[in-house]
Amino acid sequence: MASVLLAENQEPGFSFENCRRNAFLAKKGNALPKATKTGTTIVGIIFKDGVILGADTRATEDTIVSDKNCSKIHYLAKNMYCCGAGTAADTEVTTQMICSQLELHRLSTNRDIVPVVTACKFLKQMLFRYQGHIGAALVLGGVDNTGPHLYSIHPHGSSDKLPYTTMGSGSLAAMAVFEAGWKPELTEEEGKLLVRNAIAAGIFNDLGSGSNIDICVIRRGSVDYIRPYETANLKGEKQMSYSFKKGTTAVLDVKTVPIIIEDVVVHHTGEAAVESMDTSS
Amino acid sequence: MAMTEGANRYLPDYSSHPVQHHFSPYSDNGGSIVSIAGDDFVVIGSDTRLSSGFSIHTREQSKLFQVSNSTVLGSTGCWCDTLTLTRLVEARMKMYEHSHNKVMSTPAIAQMLSTMMYYKRFFPYYVSNVLAGLDTEGKGCVFSYDPIGHFSRSDYRAGGSAGALLQPLLDNQIGLKNQEGVTAAPIPLKRAVAILKDVFISAAERDIYTGDGIEIKIITKDGVRTESFGLRKD
Amino acid sequence: MALSGMTSQMSMTPKFQHNFMGPDWLHAEHSTGTSIMAVEYDGGVIIGADSRTTTGAYIANRVTDKLTRISDSIYCCRSGSAADTQAIADIVAYHLEFLSLEQGEPPLVETAANIFRQLCYDYRDQLTAGIIVAGWDSRKGGQVYCIPVGGMLVRQPLSIGGSGSTYVYGYVDANYKDNMTREECKKFVTNSLALAMMRDGSSGGVVRLGAIDKTGIERFVFTGKDIPKFYEG
Repeated sequence: MASVLLAENQEPGFSFENCRRNAFLAKKGNALPKATKTGTTIVGIIFKDGVILGADTRATEDTIVSDKNCSKIHYLAKNMYCCGAGTAADTEVTTQMICSQLELHRLSTNRDIVPVVTACKFLKQMLFRYQGHIGAALVLGGVDNTGPHLYSIHPHGSSDKLPYTTMGSGSLAAMAVFEAGWKPELTEEEGKLLVRNAIAAGIFNDLGSGSNIDICVIRRGSVDYIRPYETANLKGEKQMSYSFKKGTTAVLDVKTVPIIIEDVVVHHTGEAAVESMDTSS
Repeated sequence: MAMTEGANRYLPDYSSHPVQHHFSPYSDNGGSIVSIAGDDFVVIGSDTRLSSGFSIHTREQSKLFQVSNSTVLGSTGCWCDTLTLTRLVEARMKMYEHSHNKVMSTPAIAQMLSTMMYYKRFFPYYVSNVLAGLDTEGKGCVFSYDPIGHFSRSDYRAGGSAGALLQPLLDNQIGLKNQEGVTAAPIPLKRAVAILKDVFISAAERDIYTGDGIEIKIITKDGVRTESFGLRKD
Repeated sequence: MALSGMTSQMSMTPKFQHNFMGPDWLHAEHSTGTSIMAVEYDGGVIIGADSRTTTGAYIANRVTDKLTRISDSIYCCRSGSAADTQAIADIVAYHLEFLSLEQGEPPLVETAANIFRQLCYDYRDQLTAGIIVAGWDSRKGGQVYCIPVGGMLVRQPLSIGGSGSTYVYGYVDANYKDNMTREECKKFVTNSLALAMMRDGSSGGVVRLGAIDKTGIERFVFTGKDIPKFYEG
């Protein structure tokens, strides 16, 4: 039973209970708070032995950088990763949810790895259900028993299967690099360089993208998650030191509360405790 | 095309109200300006990035206009308004020079700029101006403006897209706000330039419209000296 | 006075339409501004489509496959919203797979078309989907069904769709013949699509074809110089 102190168990799914109130407030001229958008450059390519995903690390709120080193390559399964652009919360939660669904699916179908197309279907069906209100633009990459696969999934739930793809506000700059440089059967080194160049193009030419380059290489049976792959922008070196002298902050009031020791208990930890543990059963 | 509800749902609704598309005469090309005045000098700096929306037009556009030997105008916002305004300022200064046979003083330019901006009260120049120079006594002075001509003189000022980020830092470091046990002393030139560079480094970290580089103009009784300094380019 | 004057003035001035998430087309729904076509011929059908997916002015995919498999010998040509048509095609493919498992024989094209029709009609307020269903079954041979936006269903010997189709109605009306051979029909579809793609800005890329008959489907792609050229003035 619900009480004032203990909240009821939350219903599954989104809560829409504030929708009416917020619509009312919006009509009165109270704008809704803005969500953090990752004005982003995310990319993916297929190379000789697998898939390479890449992302920048800037998150913005309007014109202000809200996170200078955020992680946009999300884990889905041991053979699959997914880059997210758009509304930060949506990409984060969507990938987490699909991640858990994939693991449950893997267990219930008794498989070692789940095909990448399954993850794509899960994602697109969820995004389609929410009709574009979940603002997640994704680049999904992975390797399964049938080889490497790369998908781009748009917020409304459409997907494309491609050998190379880009998303986010820096997608044009990055795509220009791919259209000029991508070819079939790239080596891993060539692939990483191409992805680096694509992300760098986004970082330097798109104001919504910036900071570092993250790269994730997925091969059959192994993954290299390199973060950061390259620190594309070094912070400027300050001319002066800005440490303050002690006493710079004004003390407005002083009140001393003495600590009263009521009891002393000593817990023994470390090797001595481990050795004496009973392991006979 | 709009569709009507009801029986003719799939027929175009020619009776619905026309949609008026507005032309917007303004654009925001970003950029920030900082100016710090000392006893016998003034420094003014602007970043060199010119952008709109999510794209950069150029990484090397100075936003400082040297209008006389002892006055520099910094202007950001709608770049086409900046160009128009500064051109008019320069023209008006020439007219003044020819009719009075002397160069306008910094406070005189400051007043004229206000008049010129208020003249466009109902179709303003969409710019953030900071005017830096030496006054008639040789002291450094900084004037800052709102888009329709209100202005005030101060010792230091930040303006432009990162103005709100820069100003509190200047208040603390130059205005010595919120600090106990510090004594106000005239700021030396070297420290003013160092602070100016440092605040731009910080602004470039968090404002997407500030970056690429800064141009600094140092105005003393000997004239105007220019320095430049690199910022992050992402 | 001073600063309050500034703030109130700033908000009063008509500002440039700030769109911090970049231009509008980045968020607009993906749509296959398209040229699609299907024609019955003697013994089967030819289906065809361009390969361009656009979001506003940006080509989000230049090698799209708009000829989507529903069953081994039933395909659909998609036009309209990419998300909507992909979702519908997935659902119909699921229903048909299930149905053929129950019936123990390949599904009929007419059945597929009717499932499409039902979904497109029931959800007509929420969907932007113009679909051509084509395929071959042992009952009626090669068939083409057209389901335009709104959810109507009609069988046609020839159907064209998408934004590019408006440019080639005259051409197809002038050149369509009953009982063409497979090769004649392929040429007819390729020419029509080439003409549509040339005139329609939101169609382009490569020409994708599929020839469906009793043996299943054979796919063809025409790129670059292989796409027929016509008057380009």
